[in-house]
Amino acid sequence: MLQIKNLKCYYGRIMAIKGASLSVRQGELVSLIGANGAGKSTLLQAVCGLLEHWEGEINFQGSGLHSLDSSQIVKNGISLVPEGRMIFPPLSVMDNLKLGAYTMYRRKMHTKVKQDLEMVLDLFPVLRERIHQAAGTLSGGEQQMLAIARALMARPKLLLLDEPSMGLAPLLVEKILATLVKLRKNGITILLVEQNAQAALKIADRGYVLETGSVVLQGAAEYLLNDDEVKRAYLGKDYKEFYEGRA
Amino acid sequence: MLNLDPEERKQLQLERLQSTLNRAFRNVPFHRNRLQEKGLEPSCIGSIGDLVQLPFMERKHLGEHYPYGLFAVPLRDIVRIHSAPGTTSNPTVSGYTRQDLLFWRKMAAGTLEASGVTSQDILQITLDFGLANWGRDYKDSAEIIGAGVIPSTTLSLDKQLMVLRDYKTSVLITTPSMASELADHMLKAKVNPAELNLTTLILVGEHVDSTFRELLEEQLNVKTWLHYGLSEVPGPAIAFECSEHAGLHVNEEHFLAEIIDPQSGRETEAGQAGELVLTTLTTRAFPLIRFRTGDRARFIRGICPCGRSLSRIEWLGRRTDDMLNIRGVKVHQQQILFQVKKALGFVPNDYRISKKQQGLKQLLEVRIAVDDTLFSDEIKALESVVKRVGSILRENLGVPVIIRLKEKHLFERK
Repeated sequence: MLQIKNLKCYYGRIMAIKGASLSVRQGELVSLIGANGAGKSTLLQAVCGLLEHWEGEINFQGSGLHSLDSSQIVKNGISLVPEGRMIFPPLSVMDNLKLGAYTMYRRKMHTKVKQDLEMVLDLFPVLRERIHQAAGTLSGGEQQMLAIARALMARPKLLLLDEPSMGLAPLLVEKILATLVKLRKNGITILLVEQNAQAALKIADRGYVLETGSVVLQGAAEYLLNDDEVKRAYLGKDYKEFYEGRA
Repeated sequence: MLNLDPEERKQLQLERLQSTLNRAFRNVPFHRNRLQEKGLEPSCIGSIGDLVQLPFMERKHLGEHYPYGLFAVPLRDIVRIHSAPGTTSNPTVSGYTRQDLLFWRKMAAGTLEASGVTSQDILQITLDFGLANWGRDYKDSAEIIGAGVIPSTTLSLDKQLMVLRDYKTSVLITTPSMASELADHMLKAKVNPAELNLTTLILVGEHVDSTFRELLEEQLNVKTWLHYGLSEVPGPAIAFECSEHAGLHVNEEHFLAEIIDPQSGRETEAGQAGELVLTTLTTRAFPLIRFRTGDRARFIRGICPCGRSLSRIEWLGRRTDDMLNIRGVKVHQQQILFQVKKALGFVPNDYRISKKQQGLKQLLEVRIAVDDTLFSDEIKALESVVKRVGSILRENLGVPVIIRLKEKHLFERK
């Protein structure tokens, strides 16, 4: 569904993504993990058309995204749940959700929007309770749910999530991730960017490990979860030299 | 085994190639330095086609970085260490991580399944000591399938035959040389192959021509399958035959194969013969990047009737280097000479190294000229020289060896 070939992203003269290739097949949940500053968010921004300078190929359902702007990309079926939620705090939950369906309204698909609204409110019942409340008054977990719900309102085929677990209590993280599993079961393809490697790999089919702009490892999530190098990198137990731990 | 469409496979190969290069560049000074010398870094390799920009890796590099210099993971992650005779004074040392072993096993299991091996089979492995690592890999992968495995041990031909008959072996994995010895021995022992349960013979380690193969099939009353692998950097099942027997499928999810002109180093025209060059795509501990195998092969065009989209090679005879393949074990002239020097304390002035066929048995023959430095009027002393050189070579190379001392005038000047 999504194929990225040799993506290079630049901030001025700095290459933030140094030729990364990755793919997400229809119906998969793929996790992209890596430390802070590895380039995970940059990669998502390139996919969504939010980044000005990038090279390489990004193909979605067989066609390139290079010449498309972000609204066209949303229309094609890619939605982003950005890092830090980026909801509109003074607006009500309802208005936030309606904004997510912006491209649908423009195509006069009002009935469908109504159906979708019901669907996301069923998925996150707490949002129904707070439907007229200003989004800024929601808790962190609720705001994250709203951000996901808003992205779903655009009827994405591919949902991109940037650090949805950030700043949330472990119980809430579990809840959010359980929702992603549910969405995947409903047929939505998901690319999840996370620093919380363990949690992200547990629910994923496959994973990629990004290190300072390069993919250093990829494979089945189960394989990465048991990988010595991944364990060390995320448990902070990296070896300083070749022989450490032996001889 | 995955049967991806070509586009999807290309993407998978690119992803794996890039992360292999990224890891090798970060963790192995040898790879980093060689890329930097050419003004390259991993990000320059944006497609499979860009691979040609990278320098070749040769057998000599494996010995030069003895023992652990080419390992791409900390030693703590290595769960198996293997050595093989190299091309220099040092053996080739390679390692596997847990994941590497898992991949090898699964891959080799896939190749066995392609040869029709199932859990109903009793599979006997008969390989020389020099191919012991392959024996282990085949054992592990046959166990994954659920076959009953008789692992490789050093047995006389008599005992091999006894096991083959009495244990009701249905699949035999061995080298063409060994299979031929066994067939001959069966004839002598008046064992009718039709009495055996043996149906499948998987030939490994050596190239085999079609006439020899047909003879083996007739003598042993079996179907044969050919596998290709590398013995030094372990991997018995890099390419394998399917039921069509129309060339060897390369396990392209794990290896990239190129065929180059051994002189110019350039890729040959499609379908032309040349040297097989391999790049590992999933190996963590010991990545090979454009490794020159010394084996001659050519790509076979078109899709195999079996339906696998993996590309196919024809493994051709002769080598592109001066290595000798003795019963599947590759031995290098330099390494032989080094061992001779170790045994004698000096390099003999005149010597000849060759592959010898003694009856059906393949041997490494080393003929050494007896000159003043070696001469002794005591037969015992000369015998001890033969014994010493023979045992050191056998121990280090893992192949049968015959040492002959010859009069000096029998050698032409080198």
